[in-house]
Amino acid sequence: MYLYLPVALTSINILIPVGLGLAVGLLSGLFGVGGGFLMTPLLIMFGIPSTVAAATDSTQIVAASTSGTYAHWKVGNVDFKMGLHLLVGGFVGGLLGVQSIKILRAMGNADFVIKMTYVLMLGIVGTYMFIESIQSMRNKKVEESKPEKKSGFSRFLKSLPFQTHYEKSGVTHSVLVPAIFGGFVGILAAVMGVGGGFLMVPVMVYILRMPMHVVVGTSLFQILFNCIEVTFLQAYTNHNVDFILAVLLLLGSTVGAQVGAVFGRKLKGEQLKVILAVIVLVVTVKIIFELTLTPSLLLSQAGGH
Amino acid sequence: MNFKFQISNHILAGIVIVIMCVMYSGIASAELTVNANHDYIPIDFFYHGSTVSVSGLSDAGTDLIIKITAPDGHEALNQKGKAAGFLWMNLGTLKFEHAPNLYFIHGTKKPEEILNAENMNKYIIGYPSMNKHIEITPVSNDEERTKWFNEFIRYKEASRLYTASSGQIKTTNENGMQKYYIQTDWPYQAPPGEYLVTVYAVKNKKVVEKAEAKVTVEQAGIVKALSGMAKNNGALYGIISIIAALGVGFGVGMIFGKDGGAH
Repeated sequence: MYLYLPVALTSINILIPVGLGLAVGLLSGLFGVGGGFLMTPLLIMFGIPSTVAAATDSTQIVAASTSGTYAHWKVGNVDFKMGLHLLVGGFVGGLLGVQSIKILRAMGNADFVIKMTYVLMLGIVGTYMFIESIQSMRNKKVEESKPEKKSGFSRFLKSLPFQTHYEKSGVTHSVLVPAIFGGFVGILAAVMGVGGGFLMVPVMVYILRMPMHVVVGTSLFQILFNCIEVTFLQAYTNHNVDFILAVLLLLGSTVGAQVGAVFGRKLKGEQLKVILAVIVLVVTVKIIFELTLTPSLLLSQAGGH
Repeated sequence: MNFKFQISNHILAGIVIVIMCVMYSGIASAELTVNANHDYIPIDFFYHGSTVSVSGLSDAGTDLIIKITAPDGHEALNQKGKAAGFLWMNLGTLKFEHAPNLYFIHGTKKPEEILNAENMNKYIIGYPSMNKHIEITPVSNDEERTKWFNEFIRYKEASRLYTASSGQIKTTNENGMQKYYIQTDWPYQAPPGEYLVTVYAVKNKKVVEKAEAKVTVEQAGIVKALSGMAKNNGALYGIISIIAALGVGFGVGMIFGKDGGAH
């Protein structure tokens, strides 16, 4: 059955957005990522204008992350204190990122910077997560017997002022640490036009040293608020949110997020990290192919990446 | 003398009639009619495109060209090219002025076989005449212009908004007149607006007559209400979208929670 989308001005088979929502919602519930880096290109592939795809995706992420946050909160896997500190940094970073993009667009090389940021960030994060997770799965027993060795970087983090204990995550950091890293992710997310979950998750795991299951719930909590802000701004300033498309996507994604949360608890933290790393690397390879192979059409609708 | 004058008058009148008859043979009689079966296409919730059939009567033996177009418009498109010699990405924006968003051209034969270049350009019939009509900026030379015009046609054809065909108009002779008929798919990609159907009767490489009809495409019902709200009341539309998303998220969360799925 086909439905007409009033803002995208196109008709779509309802199975496509519901199916995409289900698949991306599953990833959201499993890994704590919004899935924007997957969903937006998929929607464009199915004929949705790029500006509408990006704006509407943020609306469905609100639903999926609400559903996912709720599921994780019920089992005590959301660190609200850490989430708020990351959120403050992410909000400021997002504003800085939007300004950077404006300057880059005026200079005429925004697309190059965006594409390179995508490849580099996804490539580095994916490779690091993959290698680290495989190594830690192999060496788990050996490492468990050794006392944790503190690096210079972690000693520097501990020396910062405003140290506070994050009870749910079981870690102690300066409030500046999540705020600064949240800001850094916020800048990159704004530059890349995504929610930033796939960058935030590694920051929480490797820099903030939070346990993987709390990372997923807290990341979803933070993404929820980011996407509420983005949805409102997109609807108010750009008129690009397609309500019908959003409803079809969120029908799938909310169910997917719940199923993902259930599966997530059955998998070990290291297994989750390996699977997420593989997905991130597959997306990286896809972008590299897109960049190097001659496209079928040399013109595309203006407005998207 | 008077008799001679009368004879010469008759000869002159006869010559004038013969000349008029010769001239008349190049002009179709004013019989060209056009009728589009759907002059109003509503875009409702379940809209997935439509069909438009164009039919009418023309003088027997005339060739026909049927053109369906949107009004001339402006389009800005991302232009892909190689950066650093090997990476394909958007390198800039190309602007296309006087470019109709939709352009269908159907002929009993190929336009260039039945029309001279002057008439093709005058009535903007066929892609070569469209090439002369559309302004493309920024381009540095004719070669580059032709390349991007061809890419523009490929982009539009891929979006099903431009099409050109020949030999698909069905014609039958009836009572000395020619009946014609063609059915075309109306793509859902065509945005709301008013479209002009023009039928050209062609003889001796010239357009001898034309007739016009209109097709109006308009949003209706829920589609119209939502589209209007998104454009005119963005803040309320945004808040409703967020509340709906939060409601569905919590709703599904609670359903799964109740069933034990989340625990």
